[in-house]
Amino acid sequence: MSAVIAPATSRAARTIYLDYAATTPLAPQVLEAMLPYLRGGESDPLLWANPASAHGPGYRARAAVERARAQVAALIGADATEIIFTSGATESNNLAIKGALEFHGALRGSRRAHLVSSRTEHRCVLDSCRYLETQGVRVTYLKPDALGRIAPAQVFEALTPDTVLVSLMWVNNEIGVVYDIPAIARGLRERGVLFHVDAVQAAGKLPIDLREVPVDLLSLSAHKIYGPKGVGALYVRRKPRARLAPQMHGGGHEQGMRSGTLATHQIVGLGAACALAAQRLGEDAVRLAQLRERLWRRLASALPGLHRNGDPQACAPHLLNVSFEGVEGEALRASLPELALSSGSACSSATAEPSYVLRALGRDDELANASLRFSFGRATSVEEIEFAAQRVIEQVRWLRELSPFGKDG
Amino acid sequence: MPLVEDSNPFAYPAPIWTLFRSTPRAGGFAPGTPGVVTGEAQSNAARSRLRLQLRFERGRVADARFRAYGCPTSIAVGAWLAGWAVGKDVRELAGLSAARLRKELEIPDQRAHCALLGEDALRAVLDRLPEDPSP
Repeated sequence: MSAVIAPATSRAARTIYLDYAATTPLAPQVLEAMLPYLRGGESDPLLWANPASAHGPGYRARAAVERARAQVAALIGADATEIIFTSGATESNNLAIKGALEFHGALRGSRRAHLVSSRTEHRCVLDSCRYLETQGVRVTYLKPDALGRIAPAQVFEALTPDTVLVSLMWVNNEIGVVYDIPAIARGLRERGVLFHVDAVQAAGKLPIDLREVPVDLLSLSAHKIYGPKGVGALYVRRKPRARLAPQMHGGGHEQGMRSGTLATHQIVGLGAACALAAQRLGEDAVRLAQLRERLWRRLASALPGLHRNGDPQACAPHLLNVSFEGVEGEALRASLPELALSSGSACSSATAEPSYVLRALGRDDELANASLRFSFGRATSVEEIEFAAQRVIEQVRWLRELSPFGKDG
Repeated sequence: MPLVEDSNPFAYPAPIWTLFRSTPRAGGFAPGTPGVVTGEAQSNAARSRLRLQLRFERGRVADARFRAYGCPTSIAVGAWLAGWAVGKDVRELAGLSAARLRKELEIPDQRAHCALLGEDALRAVLDRLPEDPSP
């Protein structure tokens, strides 16, 4: 008789957080920078004032907003006047895509308009594209190859005389693949087509210098770089000027492109997070890539039947996505309660649908579903990677052993 | 690193979570073990498969094993069935329904197919029973 013995599970298990691509904790210095704008500072008790107010405390709050604007600009090689604060990357992406198409007359039916994006973009980009389709815009969704790559030539071939905008992400949030944004940007500039880049997973992980890379619009989020949730930014190039129709109407804040009282504390938090990211960029990237490779080597040396999703030659340092043959996805996720990780973008339960990103790469539903996204951050230790690898190896072996497929008894 | 209870973060019904995490009677009998009858069922929709092995002695189940590929609920169904079957005779085994499985394991509506998988696996064992299952 062959009995399968389940690996021992202690009642009190550690939770290892490996979901930094979903969100990061607030850095202590970011929190410290924010607090005076919530409760007033020790030497300046009125810093919570409205930065649009025409009085001393208002001017000082406004100065903090402008310092933050400069910090955000510095991280990406931009000018401070090119930064628009938003509620986050979802809003930045909506404003960039819908705002550009609307400004160019696409929504009034006065011209035929075409938009190019890809099948593996974040949901907020895809949903903005789908909304525009209901308004008569034609959208081309580029198909990545099996490694998740989109070649610059593929982008240029998709252009038509009606193409108003191309929208692509710098780093894919599920598989970490890095698109060749500099080459795509130069090609689009030569062809006179606007280019929007969702850089949420790239900021603070890869060097971004918009003085060198002619991107027109670029989205950022604070909470992926140890800043607060609920705040982001959109870079809007001034030379040549990228024009947008506002999507939030009101008091004319943010050069009329995004009305609404500025959330000083959130904006200060975004600025502090960007300053910290700029300072730590090189160090973080090297360490995170080492952790990623360590985890992959541990898993691949212990387990057959693994597929690393994405392009190992062009991947972000903080992300590893692996598909596991011979295990069912929901059971795999449920068997790892001590690991906080994702199986797909923003999946909130163990029973989520297979990822559309992995499907777009050609993974079948079963394999796409049996995938884990590990993402690493500043606090991730080698010890945590070793523990996580050990748990995954044990549980995959266990679920494969439990499976009746290929067994007589 | 924080210490937390292994506390069913996906909020599975308690009986399912307990059986999935402990999987009593997982595995199989060695080929040729006397008195063993094997039944298998699969749900193509959910891509799950359950194999149930019951070892009979003098008309009753003396021991049981299961293997499963599928979601935690289907694995828990296999574990529950293997445990429940021990000591039962053929008439008692035939009396088990998917509804009973759902009740015992608190299986929600959207997982009803997992209970059917269990019933089907048990039926498959009963269908393959020799006239006298006690060797």
